[in-house]
Amino acid sequence: MNRRDFLKAAIVTGISLTVSGNTEMLVGSLDAAEKIDLAVAHGASARGITKAAIDSLGGIKRFIGRGDVVVVKPNIGWDRMPEYAATTNPEVVSTIVKLCYEAGAKQVKVFDRSVVDSRRCYKQSGIADAVTAAGGIMTFVDERRFKDVKLPGLALKSWPIYTEAMEADKIINVPIAKTHGLSTLTLGMKNWMGLMGGSRGRIHQKMDQSLVDVSMFIKPTLVVLDAVRILTGNGPQGGSLSDVKQMNTVIAGTDQVAVDAYGATLFGLKGADLGYVVAGHKAGLGMMDLAKMKIKRINV
Amino acid sequence: MTRKIRIATQGIFLFMFLWLFLQTEAKGANELGYPVKIFLDADPLIFITTILSSREWYQTFYLAIVVAVATVVLGRVFCGWICPLGTLNNMISAIRARSRKAVAAGWFRLKYYILIFLVVSSLLSLQLTGIVDPISLLIRSFSIAVYPLVSYATNATFDAFYNTNVSSVVAVSEFFYSGLKKIFLPFQQPFYLESAFVGFLFLLIMGMNLVERRFWCRYLCPLGALLGTLSRYSILKRTVSEGCNSCGACEAVCQGSASPGKKDGWKDTECLYCMNCDDLCNQNAVNFGFQKKTESPGLDLDKRRVVGSILTGIVAVPLLRVTPIARAGVADSKLIRPPGSLDEKEFLRRCVKCGECMKVCITNGLQPTFLEAGLEGIWSPILVPRIGYCEYRCTLCGQVCPTGAIRKLELPEKNKIKIGLAMIDKGRCLPHAHATPCIVCEEVCPTPKKAIWFEETKVKNREGKERILKLPRVDLDLCIGCGVCEAKCPVLGRPAIYVTSIGESRSKENQLLLP
Repeated sequence: MNRRDFLKAAIVTGISLTVSGNTEMLVGSLDAAEKIDLAVAHGASARGITKAAIDSLGGIKRFIGRGDVVVVKPNIGWDRMPEYAATTNPEVVSTIVKLCYEAGAKQVKVFDRSVVDSRRCYKQSGIADAVTAAGGIMTFVDERRFKDVKLPGLALKSWPIYTEAMEADKIINVPIAKTHGLSTLTLGMKNWMGLMGGSRGRIHQKMDQSLVDVSMFIKPTLVVLDAVRILTGNGPQGGSLSDVKQMNTVIAGTDQVAVDAYGATLFGLKGADLGYVVAGHKAGLGMMDLAKMKIKRINV
Repeated sequence: MTRKIRIATQGIFLFMFLWLFLQTEAKGANELGYPVKIFLDADPLIFITTILSSREWYQTFYLAIVVAVATVVLGRVFCGWICPLGTLNNMISAIRARSRKAVAAGWFRLKYYILIFLVVSSLLSLQLTGIVDPISLLIRSFSIAVYPLVSYATNATFDAFYNTNVSSVVAVSEFFYSGLKKIFLPFQQPFYLESAFVGFLFLLIMGMNLVERRFWCRYLCPLGALLGTLSRYSILKRTVSEGCNSCGACEAVCQGSASPGKKDGWKDTECLYCMNCDDLCNQNAVNFGFQKKTESPGLDLDKRRVVGSILTGIVAVPLLRVTPIARAGVADSKLIRPPGSLDEKEFLRRCVKCGECMKVCITNGLQPTFLEAGLEGIWSPILVPRIGYCEYRCTLCGQVCPTGAIRKLELPEKNKIKIGLAMIDKGRCLPHAHATPCIVCEEVCPTPKKAIWFEETKVKNREGKERILKLPRVDLDLCIGCGVCEAKCPVLGRPAIYVTSIGESRSKENQLLLP
């Protein structure tokens, strides 16, 4: 059963169980889900394109239900300001937080196990302020709350993963597109490293497969790839505006591999150029062939 | 009554001190919200000795001048009413059994000899004041020992509740824990290399109060000695009226060594103006008031001991400096000073070892030295990258340094300052020695154009299979020595990339590359 079949089955079951009320909406989102694999929104407003991309997938209510505890996981790995494109665009993050609340979420939590000092990363990235303003709950990662989990992996057999992420009803991955010395690019799957505890430096020894192993375990409700600005050199930390390219784009989808495969094209690469995309495809985690996908492009 | 006002004042200043101490912590912005070094700025001993040793004027110390002038007018009110270390001594003294005889009446002179020693050596450019100055000592002890200790104990306690896994227990304990985290606990548990040593000395000073009330203030404190000297000229004096029946009650409650029981023998230099004698006199015979004339016997220091203190102050300078570690190339390669530090000689002339830079360092990388900088530089800050690196966009240490030993830097300047250079140990590096991918050092390197680059190479593994490997290299021009590569290097134990002080911007001699 692939992801779409599962979704269909789940929604059909949902309909059969739902007596009245929002059946219409569910059918509507079923149609949308059938039509589109990826939504790519382009436009000047980060908020506008984030909303547009999610809307074309069927709207936030397709993903978030009333009373859900939602984790939104941006990349807040570095002590950099938003314009340096080393951390997820704060407006993209806060828009998603707001949308989740509009869909009736009980709590929307935002956190990341930053690479460098998280106080600075949270503040300087602009994400802490934006999320708090949107009503989200911004917390620092508590080292006690990592729990060793068994992974169905080829490279990683077990790893400490953040319990708050595992216990949430829904998790939305909100990475930013950047270059990376070892994995060529860091996109959605690599963003899960922010939920991993322990000494993550060792991951690099088997980077591609490790990322797939973790992504097989943490399955996002939705992936929203921030390409408002992308970092084209000296990634993943950057530091020079000349390495930043304004793309005004947001990509949304539910297939982790597909989103990353599309992300590669932003840098003039193909999904096949990224080891973890290939490995993810092989492992059945998702699709990598963009030609076979239904991609909806929206200009806002 | 006056006594109660005095106690309240002491409480307010101690609270202010502790509060500012807690504010000496990063919150995410690059500026600290409060003037955390204000107590050091108000310290006339630090002021005078730093001016002498650095031969520079400091405008930041205007408060120290205020304190000095206030002492000339009012006497040692700073000691009795303001000094946070004095207040702590006061508190510990309170648990001591009363009415014991003074240990040794003449010991109060010791602090003047210490003062003379410090002033003479600072005049000859040796700055040792910070080791015994009460404010510096207190901040250092709190930063390096007391606060980490309290934090550790608190964390351990709440961890124990957390680990019971009983949800009701955890809910209650986490409620209080998160509250403590907000108002009192550090963002992360701090660890310091010298914490046991510094902590032991602090406990010793506290414990001495059990031997004699305010032992430190009476016998040892060089700031007290300086203020005592100034208070000779004060116009707030104590008089005893005819009503005194020499009951000796005042002698028992005196916090200094002011001999209040002797009618004409009251020592103005030793009086802390605690007003205990005034408050507790049954005959109401004691009075403090403004007057010019003094019947105080004055400071009767032993002339030979004064000469001895001067000579010791002179001898200490070459004695502490006849060490080869001052020479470039011989110096401890791990002596990585914080960014903005002056050249080592100038740095040591100013650093008062208060430990504020270590307290505020967001990675805990700034640590007190033991002998890496010689005895002269004991407890001065060095970066130990394996513990914590220097964050690229952070300038906090320079902001809190009270004497400019670490300059306050603007970000563009900070980003260019080299505090050392990283080098790769090819024998341990995963790609170099073990044909295993890694490149963590390159990932974390913060310079806009990375100072770590890699060379792609084809290697064959044991099975003869070819694979492409990225070998890290350090660009010595770009490397600033921040040490994040060393901190994050996954090769534990001896790291495969490490920083030494070579190439540091502040030194002319300690260089590797052609200018």
